Amino acid sequence: MDLVFDRVNKRYERREALSDLSFEMHSGEMAFLTGHSGAGKSTLLRLLLLLDRASSGEVSVGGRPLSKVKESRIAKYRQDFGVVFQDHKLLADRSVYHNVALPLEIAGFTKRDIDRRVRAALDKVGLLDRERASPDALSGGEQQRVGIARAVVARPKILIADEPTGNLDPQLSAEIMGLFSAFNSVGVTVIVASHDLALISRMSQRILTLDRGRLITLGAGSRGMNE
Amino acid sequence: MSNSQTTSAGIGAGPRSALSAWAHHHRQAALISLDKLIREPIASFLTVLVIGVALAVPSLGLSLAATVQGQISQIDAPPQLSVLLRQDTSLADAHKLRTEMLRKPGIADVKVIDRDSALADFVSATGLESLVQRLNRNPLPHTLWVYPSANTRLAGVEQLQVDLGSLAGVSQVILDSRWLERLNAFTDLLRTIAMVLGAVMAVGVVLTLGNTLRLGIEARRDEIVVIKLIGGGNAFARRPFLYTGLLTGALGGVFGGLLSGAALLILDAPVKRLFDLYDQAPSVPSLILSELLMLISIGAILGLISAWYSVQLHLTRIQPR
Repeated sequence: MDLVFDRVNKRYERREALSDLSFEMHSGEMAFLTGHSGAGKSTLLRLLLLLDRASSGEVSVGGRPLSKVKESRIAKYRQDFGVVFQDHKLLADRSVYHNVALPLEIAGFTKRDIDRRVRAALDKVGLLDRERASPDALSGGEQQRVGIARAVVARPKILIADEPTGNLDPQLSAEIMGLFSAFNSVGVTVIVASHDLALISRMSQRILTLDRGRLITLGAGSRGMNE
Repeated sequence: MSNSQTTSAGIGAGPRSALSAWAHHHRQAALISLDKLIREPIASFLTVLVIGVALAVPSLGLSLAATVQGQISQIDAPPQLSVLLRQDTSLADAHKLRTEMLRKPGIADVKVIDRDSALADFVSATGLESLVQRLNRNPLPHTLWVYPSANTRLAGVEQLQVDLGSLAGVSQVILDSRWLERLNAFTDLLRTIAMVLGAVMAVGVVLTLGNTLRLGIEARRDEIVVIKLIGGGNAFARRPFLYTGLLTGALGGVFGGLLSGAALLILDAPVKRLFDLYDQAPSVPSLILSELLMLISIGAILGLISAWYSVQLHLTRIQPR
């Protein structure tokens, strides 16, 4: 699914969060979004998820201008996305299995399909043996992997991760990034917002650098440059 | 971590059809709500209790009003008219008037009470013989007791009162129905109070249950946010709350029915004793299935309204919208 930001501006009262932002991502591409706190990374992701609307300009996903998406269709639109949050947003009163199953329940999958997909997704992130555990019983890295399993279980067209390694040590962070690359390698469009420059500069994918709402760099990580 | 292909995360068939998914979501929401009610038995029971009492009180008032008014309609069919004749009307004229009255429609019987018999009855009832002996003449007129037909309503009897008053030789016609009117007015008042109380309590149920559900929404705020972020939408998030309102209201209706039925059983004997005084033998009706079903339906509808009101007010405010 292609993403196009065409001269997008977003203002919050007196503050300009995004300014004249234009870039394109092709279906199956992976990119890192980086910049300091307040650079506009989260705003960009919010516009993509239709948590906010652009003040001017147009964001298009899969050729569909988001300004044309009606309020009543937003929930359905979001089902094309898998989202990984920095704070995981796992539900403490549900087991790992049922946290991962939630997007499939929403999408209306059968019990049998839910079971197969949840187990496969947990297997991918190496937590099949923890399916009955409560999220509270897991380490930070494990919780993030459950979050990733939940994000990919319904086979989204676009995977978005907002500071997914914010609370993890370097080794776990590298493992998580490896997972994103693996999902991208099978055709999922992936956008990862992170301010961990040391980590993303080791990756080969595109890097979009934002500063005070403006796109200042559109390049690739060191591995990509070397290649 | 597993080395197997990432694509296998997407194995299996696609989602159900839209209709099938919708029905499945409703079934799931109903089961989640039922499970929640069972897991929190004390909180659930207290809410059901409040709704039950709120439904039982007006239901009981309306049942009693209906019973009493049903009996009154049987009592008031033949109220008696006392036709007092003028002092100069003879007993023979009184009998002629009787014959004339019996030809009128709406009159079942007429009894002549001659003034001497009436005075004798008065003396016998009051013991005022010495007073009566001092009178020069019998002050009582001849009187006709008129019994309207059983199918004559109160309005018809009042018209009869006017008609009989215009006959020659008639001094005054007394309709002895004031007590019935008072009782009728009292039961009307009882019914009105029950209905007003019912309306007030319905609002109370909506607000009480609405507030309980608001707390539930607040307690599940994180879950609602996650559901919305991953494409659940307001409809998916609100369904369990709507079912909680519906189920709690319906259970309140069952409890209200049981309370109302028990109260009617207790009131049966006193109501019977009251109507025995009027030669009536009523029985307070016990709660029948249709009334129980009506209470359950009213409870369920009130529960649904509460849930809808609460969800619209609170759930839609939770970001993302």
